[in-house]
Amino acid sequence: MAHPLLTVEDVTKTYDGFKAISNLNFYLFEGELRTVIGPNGAGKSTFFDLLTGRTQPDKGKIEFGTDPADSHDLTKLDEVSINRLGIGRKFQTPSVYAEHTVRENLILSIRGARGVFASLFHKLGSTENDRIDELLKLIRLEAKGEWKAGLLAHGEKQWLEIGMLLAQEPRVLLVDEPAAGMTDEETRRTGELLLSLAGKHSLVVVEHDMTFVKQIAVNGRVTVLHQGALLCEGKFDDVQADARVREVYLGRGKHGTR
Amino acid sequence: MATSEKLEPPAPPSDATAAILVFAAVTMLVLPTLDAFGVIDHFTLNLWGKYLCYALLALSVDVLWGGTGLLSLGQGLFFALGGYMHGMYLMRMIGDQGQYHKPIPDFLVFLGWTELPAFWKPFEHFSFAMLMVFLLPGLIAGIFGWLAFRSRIKGVYFSILTQALTYAGALIFFRNNTLMGGNNGFTDFKLELGFALREPLTQRGLFIVTAAVLVGTILLLRWLQGTKFGLVQRAIRDGENRTLFSGYATPAFKLFIFVVAALIAAIGGALYVPQVGIINPSDMQTDKSLEAIVWVAVGGRGTIAGPILGAISVNLLKSYATRAMPDMWLILLGGLFLLVVLFLPGGLVSLPARLAPLWRKFRPTTSATV
Amino acid sequence: MRKKLFIITAFLSLFSSLIAEEARECIARAAIAKSEKNQGEILNELMGRADDSILPLFDAWRKDRLYLHEPAGAAAIPVLLEGPKDAKGAQEAISVATGKSIGLRLVGDNLNAAGHSANLRRVMKAVLDLTALSSPDRAKKLSALAAIGQGQQAEKLPALERRLPLETDPAVVKALREALALVRLKSPDAEVKLAALRELESLQSLASTDFIKTMQKDPAVLKDPRLVDAARTALLAVERHRVAVDFGGTLFRSLSLGSILVIVALGLAITFGLMGVINMAHGEMIAIGAYTTYVVQNVFANGLALSPFGFSLNIPGMHTTGWWRESYFLFALPLSFLAAAAAGVLLERGVIRFLYRRPLESLLATWGVSLLLQQILKLTFGANNVQVGSPAYLSGNWIVGDVLLGWNRVFVIGFATLIVIGVWLVLSRTSVGLLIRSVTQNRSMAACMGVRTERVNMLTFALGSGLAGLAGAFLSQIGNVGPALGQSYVVDSFMVVVVGGVGDLVGTVISGLGIGTFDQFTQQYSPTVAGIFANVPFIGGGLQNLAQDSAVFGKILVLCAIILFLQWRPSGLFAARSRSLD
Repeated sequence: MAHPLLTVEDVTKTYDGFKAISNLNFYLFEGELRTVIGPNGAGKSTFFDLLTGRTQPDKGKIEFGTDPADSHDLTKLDEVSINRLGIGRKFQTPSVYAEHTVRENLILSIRGARGVFASLFHKLGSTENDRIDELLKLIRLEAKGEWKAGLLAHGEKQWLEIGMLLAQEPRVLLVDEPAAGMTDEETRRTGELLLSLAGKHSLVVVEHDMTFVKQIAVNGRVTVLHQGALLCEGKFDDVQADARVREVYLGRGKHGTR
Repeated sequence: MATSEKLEPPAPPSDATAAILVFAAVTMLVLPTLDAFGVIDHFTLNLWGKYLCYALLALSVDVLWGGTGLLSLGQGLFFALGGYMHGMYLMRMIGDQGQYHKPIPDFLVFLGWTELPAFWKPFEHFSFAMLMVFLLPGLIAGIFGWLAFRSRIKGVYFSILTQALTYAGALIFFRNNTLMGGNNGFTDFKLELGFALREPLTQRGLFIVTAAVLVGTILLLRWLQGTKFGLVQRAIRDGENRTLFSGYATPAFKLFIFVVAALIAAIGGALYVPQVGIINPSDMQTDKSLEAIVWVAVGGRGTIAGPILGAISVNLLKSYATRAMPDMWLILLGGLFLLVVLFLPGGLVSLPARLAPLWRKFRPTTSATV
Repeated sequence: MRKKLFIITAFLSLFSSLIAEEARECIARAAIAKSEKNQGEILNELMGRADDSILPLFDAWRKDRLYLHEPAGAAAIPVLLEGPKDAKGAQEAISVATGKSIGLRLVGDNLNAAGHSANLRRVMKAVLDLTALSSPDRAKKLSALAAIGQGQQAEKLPALERRLPLETDPAVVKALREALALVRLKSPDAEVKLAALRELESLQSLASTDFIKTMQKDPAVLKDPRLVDAARTALLAVERHRVAVDFGGTLFRSLSLGSILVIVALGLAITFGLMGVINMAHGEMIAIGAYTTYVVQNVFANGLALSPFGFSLNIPGMHTTGWWRESYFLFALPLSFLAAAAAGVLLERGVIRFLYRRPLESLLATWGVSLLLQQILKLTFGANNVQVGSPAYLSGNWIVGDVLLGWNRVFVIGFATLIVIGVWLVLSRTSVGLLIRSVTQNRSMAACMGVRTERVNMLTFALGSGLAGLAGAFLSQIGNVGPALGQSYVVDSFMVVVVGGVGDLVGTVISGLGIGTFDQFTQQYSPTVAGIFANVPFIGGGLQNLAQDSAVFGKILVLCAIILFLQWRPSGLFAARSRSLD
């Protein structure tokens, strides 16, 4: 079996005594589309924070790279270095640059010049412009390229942020609740987009909407988090049938939570 | 810290280019010519020279605040430091023409010095002084900015620390033992590059240089806005964390712009000193820096015209008010500031856009009656 | 104890009056003595005598108002002229010896005044110094002893020795022993000198340093190895003690400055924590508190005439006296709290509530308010500092092992402790506190739960500003009260909040005390601190220069330390964590 692209082993993170993540193991393989579900407070956002260098674990290892001899220890790197390694993140609440136009949002995100002096003297090339047009088409915002991003509808912002993520051409996409605030039709299209990305990219998608999860988890595996720990992992149908998952989600267990 | 404020969109570029040309022509040609022919008096030209220096300070505030979302309460420090560095040269040029007729500045004689302290010596060279105008403020901004930005100090914290920085600067320069003139600072300058500062011709020349520097700064800032750097800068203002996660090392960007802003302020201060004829630590006090923020707020932040307009209009008002009602000036300033912050966040430059609906309502009735 | 002492002194004075003549008789005898030398000897007999008549008589003598009535053929009678002058300019003549009228009216201009040479005046002064020794006023006694010690005059020894067994107050005994030892240091006898050095060593007399050092240069002393040795050890002991006293004093000043910073910063931290608003007008809230104290003080006294903006405003006074007037400060405390709290509510309702979620702009708006308030205060109370007197119970010092603790500062430390406890109780035990904390943690959630956040904002601002007002009342007891009073503390208190972390009580207390301590210690030991960095390129020389002004040095180092501290803890000691992106 191939070496995973992303290796998370025995990771624990506490905030003021509260265990947000406890002894978590997680492996993501190249080209995989993994869906992560879990009730509120299961530690999904903290998990992404740990992967992107926003916060550091108390213990455990987080490594990036399929070659064990040449992998990067993500716990030692900051957000910027991790992003430059090729891990991109879409946030739960759409975070686009509201005062920039849609096109400018993409220019900012497109792979390339990131340094201070490089950005001072950077000229937008025709390949970059073509790539931006292509992305605009993909996220169905070609007519709104000169709009200020702040004026877009919620769903459109979600799409723009996905577009910004794609513009970075990352190896791993961490996508937090992409379907939130979208119509059913938009949600379905989002799912199709994500599915089409799998293979070329590796994806981790956090989602609540079970219809959506079912759609995107058609080939991949689903990971269920509960109280910061791994509850179970497997095919969507297996996970759905799991008694513990039902208890956590539906709260019909004997302890009567909620 | 999400900034929910709406900033006014910049005016279309063609208009802006025309405006810059007009501004350059008026300040670099028309006003000096009027002065040369005695249409306006030397005092007025000198006053406007001071305002243009203040406009540079205002731009330096706005590059940070309007442009990057960093509210620095310490730009006055860099302004004053630039002034002091140039002032040291001007003090050396007094030669032995001071009150004590000694070859060293009067305040040093007064403190019991008979020889020039070592760090004063190179300042007899204009070129060295000019180098220091950039080097010292740049270095201080660089060190402070590096420390502040790498530890991700931002928002109100950053503002307070910059305030403390300029407060510390004022404390140091108020001391006599700093050998920078104590609380009297530097004054009684005689010569600049061999020209007598008292001569109207010299002052006119300084005015033109100031105007040219201001126009140059405007062009530089406009160019900066158009680059990818400008995009990143505004992105940092609107959502710094997002920018970090897009792979931009925001501390480096902020440090760069902080140093650039410090240099703009410093050059403003360096031009201010020969025209106003005095520099002292009161220019470093936190209130001076905050005053510059009032100019920007009143003029309109996030634009280039706004800070310049604000610096000139508020200082015109100040010149009038401090003479007509000296007791009320601070109340006026405080009140004006409050009103702008509360009711006109876009400043004066946003007034036309704000008044446009009113105008539209008004016009049909006038055309109907005419 | 005191009664016993009284009996002893009463008995002794009775005893001495039996054996010796009255002091006034002695003075009368001296006034008519033949030679100056004789006069001196007679007056010397008065050394150490406690007699209230001495001072006025010496005074009269020195001012040429002790006259000699010289009736023909008889001995001269020293007299004082008292009472109203009649048409001829004559006054009642009172005999110096008896204190009674001699039945004559004399004109001063026609009489000779008793002469006094410089030498004689010196004797008189010595006598008076010693008279102060038996003064019932402890402070007078102590300062007289200190003066005698500094004078090192051997002729005062007998009086001091006589006094020693009579004193019971340990502080006075110590001062007496110190004075004795200092005087004996001048003795020609090596043994006496040696004993004096040992005494000074055991007393750890701070005043003795210079005298011992002078003695060390004496060639006679240099010949005696025992003396050289004893002098060195005595100096060592004294220096060691001085280091300890300096340290204690610095610690006390640290605590006092720290307490002030804590009170000033506490209100700031509460409003900042709750609303993300750094209140730049906080300094003016302090000034309002201080001026309220000033007004209350004047109301308790003779009233106050103000002329704000050209109107004249007369506040009548209650013309109280004594204990009642002294108690003004106790009334001023709650009133300054209320006055500043009211101003805070006005500020919140009038300005800040429009600017929530725009922290930078609210910072600027409050600065505008600060300008306004400063100028209003200036126009109302004048640009100059006003006088706020300390009530008797807050003036004076408390001396603990040579460390001077000002009562006002002791009071500030005590009250700061009470305030911190009080604020903690309010926040943790009352419903208001619960509301404030809930809004601090999650504003929108609290609003959803039915908390009226508007009211909580108001209350918080009232509390925060009120605390600033209290701080102002304290500061009026420590320094001057002027329109810019708050400005000198406000930058420091911002720093306290930045270091302490937002809205955390414990953080504010620790950081306030920490900054106060750091500031005072770097000030006290500025040469040492600068010395440490002397060889660091670029900054070493600058620091040496800066250390000449220790107050500035302290402040600059505090700022540097804070910036470095923030490298380690960017959001202060106690950071509030948030999971949102910005």
